[in-house]
Amino acid sequence: MKLALANLFSRLNRYKTALEVDEELQFHLAMLERKYMQEGMCAADAQAAALRRFGNFQRVKQQCVEITKRSTLLRRVLKTSLMLMGLAGLLISIGSSDYKVDRIGHVLIMIAIMGRLLLYVRGLGPFTYLAGVKATSITDPAKTPRN
Amino acid sequence: MPNERTDLMQGTLELLILNTLARESMHGYGIVQRIHEAAEDLLKVEDGSLYPALYRMEERGWIKSEWGVSENNRRAKFYKLTRAGQKQLEAQRANWNRISKAVARILQAT
Repeated sequence: MKLALANLFSRLNRYKTALEVDEELQFHLAMLERKYMQEGMCAADAQAAALRRFGNFQRVKQQCVEITKRSTLLRRVLKTSLMLMGLAGLLISIGSSDYKVDRIGHVLIMIAIMGRLLLYVRGLGPFTYLAGVKATSITDPAKTPRN
Repeated sequence: MPNERTDLMQGTLELLILNTLARESMHGYGIVQRIHEAAEDLLKVEDGSLYPALYRMEERGWIKSEWGVSENNRRAKFYKLTRAGQKQLEAQRANWNRISKAVARILQAT
């Protein structure tokens, strides 16, 4: 049951990633089409020109999905390793009466905490990826005066 | 008429992206447009090649993305430089300056 749920979650996550990548790339194509149409092309020509300039859409999409998937996997492995390390450190600290062994436990806990903190600071933490949609006011690059 | 646009050297795209994002947050289309405008179309950058580079840079923690609303009211993903990205930009810029100086010296000497 747990495995099936994990599998389902993984599939949904991958599907969501693919949709987001698709949306991002479609936005780029739409902007290119708009540019070409403003330059006087008809809709069909603008679409063809946009696709030509973009390159292989499906290949780019696939590459982006793979990178995201790899990044997610690496993050999970790191998080799990740090959690196990912290847990091991805690068990060693509680279970041992020997000062030296106890010290090893403390070091493991410290490494786990520092690692987790580093992951968060480097933007690999969960909060960055669960931030969701946030509307921001961004300057239009086309309207920004250039130096 | 010969094509006078030059293919981008390996690894240069990342430097150009970092440099473009140093000024402000932008979506992918904006980044490519800015590069094309700044290079006055002398560099050949295939638009699609930008995205795997952006995703790799985000994976390395150099840039951060968030969904926002574009100038034409469409949902778009905006990228911004992180502190690690800023450091990377400085390092890559210094490296580029070293390489270009060295190549220029060699070309002048021969």
